[in-house]
Amino acid sequence: MSKPNPSQQNARYAALAAVLGLAAFAAAPLAQAAEPIRIAVIAENSAIGGIAITNAAKLAADEINAKGGVDGRMIEIIDYDDHNSATDAVRAFQRAASQDHAIAVISSYMSEVALALEPWAARLHMPFITPGAASNEITRRIHEDYEHNKYTFHGYLTSTELAQTVCNFSHDVLVTKLHMKSTVVMSEDAAWTKPLDNEYLACLPKAGLTVLDHIRFSPDTTDFTPLFNQIEAKHPDVITAGISHVGVQPTVQWASQQVPIPMSGISSQATTDTFWRDTNGAAQGVILEENAAPNIAVTAKTIPFAQAYIKRYGVTPGYAGYSAADDVNIIAEAVKRAKSTDPDKLVAALEQTDYIGTMGRIQFYGRNEPFTHGLRYGPGYVTGVVVQWQDGKQVAIWPADIATGELKFPSFIKLPEQHAGK
Amino acid sequence: MLALQILIDGFAISALYALGAVGFTLIFGVSGVLNLAHGGLMLIAAVAAWYTAGELHAGQYIGAITGLAFGVLAAFLTYFVVVRPIQRSRAIPRDETEIFVLTGTLLWGIMIQEAVAYFFSDNPLTVPALISGVANIDGVRVPFNEILVAVISWLSIGLLWILVNRTRAGKALLACAINPRGLTLLGFELGRIYLLVWLIYGLLVAAAGVLLATFLGTSSGNTGALTASAFSIVVLGGLGSVSGSLIAAYVVGYMETLTAYLVSPQIRTIPSLLLLVLVLYVRPQGLLGRR
Amino acid sequence: MSRRTLAALVLLLLLIAFPFVASGYLLGVFTIAFYFGVFAMAWDLLFGFAGEVNFGPTFLIGLGAYAAGLLNVRGWPILPAVLAGAVAAVIGGLLLALPALRLRGPYFGLVTLVAVLLLQQVIVIFAGVTGGEIGLSLPDVLSVDARKNYWYALAFMGVSGALLYALSRSPAGLILQAAGQDPVEAQALGFNVAKHKLAAFSISALFSGLAGALMVFYLGTASVDTVVDISVTVQVIIAVVLGGRRTILGGILGAVFLIGVGEVLRPLGQLSTFVVAAIALAVILLFPDGLIGAFGRHGREA
Repeated sequence: MSKPNPSQQNARYAALAAVLGLAAFAAAPLAQAAEPIRIAVIAENSAIGGIAITNAAKLAADEINAKGGVDGRMIEIIDYDDHNSATDAVRAFQRAASQDHAIAVISSYMSEVALALEPWAARLHMPFITPGAASNEITRRIHEDYEHNKYTFHGYLTSTELAQTVCNFSHDVLVTKLHMKSTVVMSEDAAWTKPLDNEYLACLPKAGLTVLDHIRFSPDTTDFTPLFNQIEAKHPDVITAGISHVGVQPTVQWASQQVPIPMSGISSQATTDTFWRDTNGAAQGVILEENAAPNIAVTAKTIPFAQAYIKRYGVTPGYAGYSAADDVNIIAEAVKRAKSTDPDKLVAALEQTDYIGTMGRIQFYGRNEPFTHGLRYGPGYVTGVVVQWQDGKQVAIWPADIATGELKFPSFIKLPEQHAGK
Repeated sequence: MLALQILIDGFAISALYALGAVGFTLIFGVSGVLNLAHGGLMLIAAVAAWYTAGELHAGQYIGAITGLAFGVLAAFLTYFVVVRPIQRSRAIPRDETEIFVLTGTLLWGIMIQEAVAYFFSDNPLTVPALISGVANIDGVRVPFNEILVAVISWLSIGLLWILVNRTRAGKALLACAINPRGLTLLGFELGRIYLLVWLIYGLLVAAAGVLLATFLGTSSGNTGALTASAFSIVVLGGLGSVSGSLIAAYVVGYMETLTAYLVSPQIRTIPSLLLLVLVLYVRPQGLLGRR
Repeated sequence: MSRRTLAALVLLLLLIAFPFVASGYLLGVFTIAFYFGVFAMAWDLLFGFAGEVNFGPTFLIGLGAYAAGLLNVRGWPILPAVLAGAVAAVIGGLLLALPALRLRGPYFGLVTLVAVLLLQQVIVIFAGVTGGEIGLSLPDVLSVDARKNYWYALAFMGVSGALLYALSRSPAGLILQAAGQDPVEAQALGFNVAKHKLAAFSISALFSGLAGALMVFYLGTASVDTVVDISVTVQVIIAVVLGGRRTILGGILGAVFLIGVGEVLRPLGQLSTFVVAAIALAVILLFPDGLIGAFGRHGREA
């Protein structure tokens, strides 16, 4: 290689550096007239649960637009990939607010990301709904400093309410029908499971299940053998789980080790369509809580929405897909009511929300209720459903009025009657 | 009962750790390469096995073989695309080659991880067990697959031992680890020895990846942890020492299992990490390392 | 020399004036890039000069960030919290460096990596205090105004860059460089290699901790993913490698490029990280001295 003379070389590198630096920003989109109503969606595109938020929002927007939009204005979804990182999400949020002129933001199923965005919603006066994060912290902050944090809405159930759903189901089905008497709580060690476990420990005994042990494990765990052995040694009738970071691995190991105790509770990964394939069918018999499911008529809107989604994207919407679609509709209605996209008026209109969505009747708690701006929880509103994986499908078990089947377990599971018989 | 349980569970997981670490230490011993794309290579083998077995419905045996093939392919790619260009580059000072190989393979590992996450999502992957069913060893239920994982791991390590100690090619590898220049003087071509060692490494790392996918499952987000775990075991045992790595794998495997059973699964990995720091402080060359 | 100083001054003025023409979003991108620039420069001091691959920059960054954040939650104002964060990072850095610096190369790298893994575990285990995986929200932020945030970050980066650069060109910096390249010879020449490396580690820790603490007061949140995770380390390494190791200032260029490209490639989603890593790998293979490295070196020879 012949050596170019130094000054030439200098110039070349300088030019290269300049071009690389400038090219980075050349692609920034130009501002357009603020005709459409822009809603920003920030989610993780490589996760099934994340992309469902974006896809569902787009689907919902298209449906609204097909009916003429909001008073003639079309809804435009601007989507950003946050790579599941709070830094990226904050940057996208700022971009949505200052450059892309979004009127509201829908973002993330991760509590970490939602909590990082909440203060920015306050600072930038940007209405913000999270369709999938569960932390109690989100609504606690709104409750404690309403004037400041009122721009955030929690479009999903809090950890405490998720635990209540599991307890209600446990009482109605596991205790009443299957005569179970005891359980072990098994949760990943994470901030979102703290209020979940607190509620489990409080409501499971009331539901009729004695809690024999409470195990928290590192979310990095890959070998679950010690956990299952520890649980089995206590001889509970059922395992009540609180897992999100892990899911496929404990399920596969539970089946391959033939742990004779049914698994129930919260298992976020198990809500996805691909869970059956991901576990090679080891999911058989796993019981889990969901906000909605593709073949369960939680409301009249659930099944049509799920079918439209499947038709368009080829997979079922993850749990946050249902809430994201509801959130787009809620925002559209609020704009209509407020006759404005002014943030404070929009927040006031959002607080008046009374909308039958895919996961139930949606209202937000008021500023004097503990879960301020959280979803109103309970019969008639959003209750959550409990399903079981059976032969590649999720079968609705609870509540009784929407149930599509009965509990059914793989042969290695031993139920209380069988214990009694031996 | 509990003791037997710990003994059995610790044995299988340690065997898998050992298999993963042996390749890592071998490639360092012979060619001086610390491959930080190690976890990425395991991931490629696991993904290939999972895709062939599950998505293409070819069954787990053909899946496992495809996984091995892709693992070897990925190892050669690593060598030809990343490692060899760095080793041969005239722009990189000799004494900095090591640092460059570290950063180069680190980036390569990130590329593998991101590509897998993009094309196959970051959901954990599991390959159906090679044999299903559970054995009952004195009251402890052990899946047949877990036993198989331990057996295959030890068979592979045994084959490696025979190869290194009983064959001409293997002895050349050993000699290369001790004195590469002397070997060239004896008429061996270093390039071919490197190819051989990358082939062996590819097979070992692919086997570890496939077995991991059938035993515990893995995901693209897990690659960093896999590399870190192989790296720690190898350093604990002493860089370049195969027997040191085997011992270290068992120390770490049992320490984690004991912690999970007797203390809390919450802090599973912490004692072994602390042990590592402690050993390095007292004996920087590791348990059986040469200085 | 004077021509280069002039060019640097012009560039600085342009950067200072930038907020008057740029959108708030673009300023946000640069603000993050400037903090990463400081991470990168601090790391380069160890990597380029002391010749040590430190896989634990996020141990130092994270200590600074979390210490500052936790104190802020307990009512400390921003400035003392940031300073305390820097002190925490230096103390943590010393605790790590004293044993780790007895080790070389991969051994040193591994110990620093283990430090990050342990910090990560501690944060998750003490989730009650630290917020665990969902992070810690800070009551205060530097400013909600994008311009002010930009200027704070620019000023911080400018001062850090000047100090680190001056240090690297000082006699101490040269000794460090000699020690990194050939410790035995440097020792033989009568230099206390260990002492210099320890000093380099502390200074690296100081700037990493400060930058980490300031960045969380910009973001308004401290979380494992933003300041501790290995992926942050990888970004720091990529920034230095791209810009050019052993140049200090190359880290700034690398960081701006890295963050900028990340934004442009956003539509690619997950693949954007792939592309950035591939570019960095190509730079390693084709221009081992990085962008500024080649530029600067030739400039010096001429």
